[in-house]
Amino acid sequence: MEIPRFFLTIEESGLSIWVRNNPFWAIISIHAIGMAAMVGASLIIALRLVGVAPDLPIAPLQRLYRFIWFGFWVQVVTGILLLIGYPTKSLTNWDFYLKLVLIAFGMVVMQMIRKRVFSDPALSEADMMTKGRTLAVWSMVLWFAVVTSARILAYTYTHITYPG
Amino acid sequence: MNLAHLHLLLNHWPIIGTFIGLALLLVAVFAHSNDIKHVGFGVFAFLALGSIPVYLSGNAAAEATRDMGFSANLVDTHEGAALLALLFIELTGLVALVELFRFTRHGDPPVRKGLSKGMSAVLALAICTAILMAVAGTTGGDIRHPEINAEGETSPAIATIGAGFVLSTRYFVIEYSRWIWPMIEDFHFIGLILIMATVGLLNIRVLGFLKKLPVRPLHRLLPLGLAGLAINVVTGMLFFIGMPGFYVFNWIFQAKIVAILFAAGNLILFHCTGIFRKWDKVGPGEEAPLYAKVVAASSLALWLSIIVLGRYIPFGE
Repeated sequence: MEIPRFFLTIEESGLSIWVRNNPFWAIISIHAIGMAAMVGASLIIALRLVGVAPDLPIAPLQRLYRFIWFGFWVQVVTGILLLIGYPTKSLTNWDFYLKLVLIAFGMVVMQMIRKRVFSDPALSEADMMTKGRTLAVWSMVLWFAVVTSARILAYTYTHITYPG
Repeated sequence: MNLAHLHLLLNHWPIIGTFIGLALLLVAVFAHSNDIKHVGFGVFAFLALGSIPVYLSGNAAAEATRDMGFSANLVDTHEGAALLALLFIELTGLVALVELFRFTRHGDPPVRKGLSKGMSAVLALAICTAILMAVAGTTGGDIRHPEINAEGETSPAIATIGAGFVLSTRYFVIEYSRWIWPMIEDFHFIGLILIMATVGLLNIRVLGFLKKLPVRPLHRLLPLGLAGLAINVVTGMLFFIGMPGFYVFNWIFQAKIVAILFAAGNLILFHCTGIFRKWDKVGPGEEAPLYAKVVAASSLALWLSIIVLGRYIPFGE
């Protein structure tokens, strides 16, 4: 399949060249911190719902969604910058699309947990755990898959920049 | 001064420290003293941490002496003994730290006759560590002091086994499959998430965010953070053993190791000892004392800087 010419157009833009220079390291550093916020906060909610740390009150954990969404938007911004830096590398890699789909599923599951577990203040903690347990397991599986698919991006690409 | 000098400055500490820690534990057993036991466990937790740069700087020392005509075989044997000693001091330190944390959580168990499971495990591991440390020290001494070797004396068998262990680990990490390295990286990220989710969240709460959460149950999540730290020490050492030449003279890697020593030291000293017992009474809506906030802020800043330094390592080449 022909690689679209506009990948090259992006790569030749000033912003793309800027990203590929020194800022690249700063951007992937912030991308790692965003991951820690998004996945770490999701992990705490999921672990509590499967029964870890039973004396941790569940309802106030809703505040952790701020960290999940903060991390998510940090990832969107830094992710787009990285994509502008290396459009051919990402967009010609099947694993990149897999990663995006997995992130979408991860966020959807977290929002489903929010709706089922946190939206009704009348629920007891036992009810919250019953309603949230399966979704919590799914969220942990999905976040693990997200991190794995993200890590192997560096090992599955065919072109680092536009060929030729 | 260079890293080889650093190796000479540091390398006696794990050996002497292991014997001091072992002596403390034996005194604690015979004197039925929980306080001395805690100190002994603390010594092993810190030794586990402090032994890491000793091992790392050893590679620099080997590089520095390469052209000086020392037997490469003696250096390899010493490296093998050192890796086995490192493995055992890490295990001893981890079990000691978990025991120390349990006391912090539940308070001291009533003094009774006989050894607890945790104490027996730490003692057994510490004895193995002491033997391996002695072998590591002797084989290290052999490199520069031929006068201590009797005529025709051969290297201890355990050190030769260790040297084989170094080579097979390097083969596994680098050559066995091209997917081993990414897999180790993946687990290194999982460890990072576990540390930040537990230690980071606790620090954030102590600083005064998410105030509706009581501190005590967050503190209970720390064993997951310790698991993350253990995963990252193991995976990090695998990277290093795989490509020591890539890391050992990289100043960003060196800075990361220093930051890890401070961050993990903070974790052991302030979060896994009786010091935290005063702070974990902070209930929902309550403020932690200023001292606790300073500790939490420094911990958070250090762990974040470790992430950044880790990502910058290729830049420091």
